[in-house]
Amino acid sequence: MRPSENIEKLIKKLRYKTSPETHDRVLGNVLQALDEKEKQKPGVFVPDTWRTIMKSKITRMAAAAVIIIAVFVGIHQFGGDGASVAFADIVEQLANARTMTYSVVTRTPVESMPTLRLQMAFKEPGYMRTTTVDGYINVIDWNQNKGITLWPPKQECIDFEASNYQHDTVQDPFIVVEKLRTLPDQADEALGEKEIDGRVLEGFRVTQGDMINTVWVDSQTTQLVRVEIEYTNSPGMNTIMTDFQFNAELDDSLFSLVPPEGFTRLEVQADVSTVTEQDLIAYLQMWSTWTKDGTFPPTFNPIELPKVTAEMIKQGKFGEGETSQQERHAEATLMYRGIMFVTQLPAESNWRYAGENVSYGDAETPIFWYQPTGSQTYHVIYGDLSVKDVAPEDLPK
Amino acid sequence: MLEDRLLLWKFKHGSRDAFRVIYEKYAGDMLTLAGNLLDDKVGAEDIVQDVFIKLVESIGTFRLTGSLKSYLATCVANRSRDCIRKRIRQRNAMAKQAEKTPAGTKSTVHMAICSEQLQKLSNAMTKLPYEQREAIALRIHGDLRFRQIAELQNVSTKTVQSRYRYGLNKLRSTLNGEVEK
Repeated sequence: MRPSENIEKLIKKLRYKTSPETHDRVLGNVLQALDEKEKQKPGVFVPDTWRTIMKSKITRMAAAAVIIIAVFVGIHQFGGDGASVAFADIVEQLANARTMTYSVVTRTPVESMPTLRLQMAFKEPGYMRTTTVDGYINVIDWNQNKGITLWPPKQECIDFEASNYQHDTVQDPFIVVEKLRTLPDQADEALGEKEIDGRVLEGFRVTQGDMINTVWVDSQTTQLVRVEIEYTNSPGMNTIMTDFQFNAELDDSLFSLVPPEGFTRLEVQADVSTVTEQDLIAYLQMWSTWTKDGTFPPTFNPIELPKVTAEMIKQGKFGEGETSQQERHAEATLMYRGIMFVTQLPAESNWRYAGENVSYGDAETPIFWYQPTGSQTYHVIYGDLSVKDVAPEDLPK
Repeated sequence: MLEDRLLLWKFKHGSRDAFRVIYEKYAGDMLTLAGNLLDDKVGAEDIVQDVFIKLVESIGTFRLTGSLKSYLATCVANRSRDCIRKRIRQRNAMAKQAEKTPAGTKSTVHMAICSEQLQKLSNAMTKLPYEQREAIALRIHGDLRFRQIAELQNVSTKTVQSRYRYGLNKLRSTLNGEVEK
């Protein structure tokens, strides 16, 4: 044996092989055992009660990653096209603001979509921080397309970065703020004065697309007090923003992308220019393996998804299992790329997600569809994750 | 990894095809692992069968922690150890008879070995102390990390690395025709 010869490679060649007959016999014996088992227990899962779902690293990571995506996707606090705050004083406040903070509450009429409460903070030249009541913290440096998600209760964090991310005036939260700063006087209805929480407020309404934005301003101080958004396409759902503060001192440490000492760190990166439909499919497939019933994500709505995921964790809807750091990284990246694909779709793609309560393998039910740029037909992804071209008139209603 | 999770999920939901894919994917590796640990093809087949039956029986509550291959390899290693312990007990009980057994009647392993060098290596593997052989087989055929092997052998990672290194050195020496001291 030559000194340079790799003994390990040689050992790898020490393969045992069975004859086809033996292979079939062993497999037959195992399948027979499977038959016996099925006779005794007809396909019933035994729920894991020996420890809580929250101990699962998979579900923790899932929840954290979802939050990341939610923020990166763009939380439309001011509506998709930017609410039209109608009067000059407010525009001036915004124009001169170096920092801005507020609270946001989103409610839906759907029982499975719990109320979402967030604290938002913006700081020049492009920092954004969100904090949920569950303890998740997200910080994004919008100029660098970098961010970090922190979960202090578990001392875990995820660094994320998106290269070649195309900023979009509809989807980027910070650009929405920028738009607010330069808004012309677009209010199309004056609501007059109204007393809310003991304060006399003056209201204005702006209707844009499927969103009705109502802005309430303190008549005395001309301070922005409250913004309400209703969604005509989602009756019963609304977003309310309150507790506005402008130019408050916000320490730089609040927007640090450096994880605190002792935090377990996971890094995900995605070149957004390379994400494809296949990334979305892989993400959907992965999610279906996380849930005990094999269902897909209940929503793609970035406002709802984090909270819904947290609820699902509490309800034990995710399977157990712990993963290595390497696996977690792979899964987080896959998830990140999958949702990035959707966030990069232009508004005219008319994408829609309908995967709630649909299980993997359901070949009859469309779960996602969109019109690729330049295409006359839609791509429709079904519950078995097959993809078909469908004419617009044949789309699910 | 994701593929394995998906296969397990499908299997849990009653897909025999998914189980077949799992079996086809890993049975060969597990047989090789068991064969290298036991130096006994029939015994190796029994162990692989037992391991997959165990997977079938526990699938309702089974949760994958790490890779499926590592899980299966660990099961194979544990059962191989049990098997060897059992053999040692039997051998001790039949010591007198064993002494009378003529040399050369030891069952040979039927492996897919084509070259003389590999045959020599296979024979050399069987002469290694079991812990060294186990470390090598689990690392190379089971794709386990040293840390995982250390947990299995209940020793430190350094000890496993030493066992692995000593084992490889012995094999290399044997193949080079050196006289072992």
